[in-house]
Amino acid sequence: MLDYAEPVTKLIDEFKRLPGVGHKSAQRLAFYLLKATPEEADRLIEAIREVKEKITFCSICNNLTDVDPCRYCDNPTRDHTMICVVEEPYNLVAIEKTREYHGLYHVLHGALSPIRGIGPDELKIRSLIERLRPQDDAPEVEEVILATNPNTEGEATANYLSRLLKPLGVRVTRIGMGLPVGSDLEYADEVTMHKALTNRHVM
Amino acid sequence: MYLSHLEAIHFRNLSGAIDFSPGLNVIHGANAQGKTNWLEAVYLLGTTKSFKTAHPREAIQHQAEEAILRGTVISGHLSRDIQLLLTRTSKQTFVNGKREVITRYLGILDAIAFTADEMEVVRGGPDNRRRFVDRGLVSTLPSYLGTLAEYNRVLKQKNSLLRSASDADDPTRFFPMLEPWNDQLVALGSEIHVARVGYVEKLKAALQPQLFQNESITVRYKSSLEGKGDLGDYPKLMRERLEHHLKNEIAIGYALVGPHRDDVEILCDGYDISRFGSSGQQRSALLILDLAQMVIYHQILEDYPVFIVDDIDAELDRNRIEILLDTLEGSSQVFISTSKRAIAQHYRERAQTIEIANGKVAAKVITN
Repeated sequence: MLDYAEPVTKLIDEFKRLPGVGHKSAQRLAFYLLKATPEEADRLIEAIREVKEKITFCSICNNLTDVDPCRYCDNPTRDHTMICVVEEPYNLVAIEKTREYHGLYHVLHGALSPIRGIGPDELKIRSLIERLRPQDDAPEVEEVILATNPNTEGEATANYLSRLLKPLGVRVTRIGMGLPVGSDLEYADEVTMHKALTNRHVM
Repeated sequence: MYLSHLEAIHFRNLSGAIDFSPGLNVIHGANAQGKTNWLEAVYLLGTTKSFKTAHPREAIQHQAEEAILRGTVISGHLSRDIQLLLTRTSKQTFVNGKREVITRYLGILDAIAFTADEMEVVRGGPDNRRRFVDRGLVSTLPSYLGTLAEYNRVLKQKNSLLRSASDADDPTRFFPMLEPWNDQLVALGSEIHVARVGYVEKLKAALQPQLFQNESITVRYKSSLEGKGDLGDYPKLMRERLEHHLKNEIAIGYALVGPHRDDVEILCDGYDISRFGSSGQQRSALLILDLAQMVIYHQILEDYPVFIVDDIDAELDRNRIEILLDTLEGSSQVFISTSKRAIAQHYRERAQTIEIANGKVAAKVITN
């Protein structure tokens, strides 16, 4: 016999499919909705429907967008000679928050990880190379900034891309890594400190 | 550093607490009373690892949900209470009553244990010797743990890719995919190589080659790339070997090149002790290495880890025991266990002897 009536079990099961949600959290969410007013439930249903209907991936950079091409790719005031490559859309948001980068983006939707069965074909790499080909109506791309994560998978992805892109005559750069600014040295872990010391520079 | 007090709750058959001497502590009692369990508790509290089992949760008493080890560690004028909480699913570390991350917990009570299992370092496979060196490095060079973990992670990814490649119809298309992993293996592998070579050199300089016998003990780091080119330029050599073995690695389906294939030679009068040494020579060699490890630790951290010898009379003869205890006297806190009352009696003058029965202290003699 099921612990709960079938519709409740079904809802719990659906929540459990979501990342980061275990059985207990799924149960809590389900019971929250059971107690919620029909209006509250409708708001959630509508929000999910809207995001599925209106949000697509940009046909140029693969970022999440409600218009295609996305607002970054379509913006004539941005620097179209620079492309910053990130793993996920939320990485793009982190860079965009600085308001200091005015070039374009390219979202890979992941990083190389043979253990998880993710090879170059599973990432949006081919469309990146497409973008580097000279096009009549657009300025040529001069620099690609590799902003994949500073872990082994992100590093491997950056290495792979750099070998692939350099022969195409484009400048390939990697974002710097080191200590977080605005905090004290004492808060840095040993590995970060070790890397920061190795990558020190002359003043 | 020394452990002045240890309390065990729901841990194996132990109950109660023991106050230890900063010098020699002799734990004795009949078999199966809990002598080794107290030593395991000391080691586990300090290192969060057991020398008896890979799964410390097995040490939680059956009717209990969790086990607690609680100790007081004195270093110089500093006294700190540390606690290890074992549950069926986790290990939690506390310092002075507050939860502390493991990286900051480790190092408060460092321990070296000489046990029957530890003998694998001198007679087992190369992995045991690599681990011995890595352990020594981690306690004296904290960033090394991160480097090692990253290397193993890259290695796992590469092996996974090599397995796919060895099953594929056209392995050549995997060549460019392997390169980024090899790049990282070279960078991290070189760091590991340099660190290990340096550590083994220090071991060699610190060890007393004839402490227990006439035959002379020495050590040498034996890179798997030895004889293949200039080890002085390790990154270049490793890259060459990776290129040379690219096809072999794909054919066999796992990584063949790198420091994960290295060894440490332990030589007794020039002969490989794992193959030609008697078991007495092997025991002496391991003790000599353990003691050298303590010297290096002291050179860098100006302190000594505690030293544990389980079932001392089964592992060492009287003569070796005497030499070992003489060497350790005045530096490290020592814990030894024995089932022989005579041995315990013998050390009454210079040690605190603690008799264990049924998991707890039956009698205690303090002399120093």
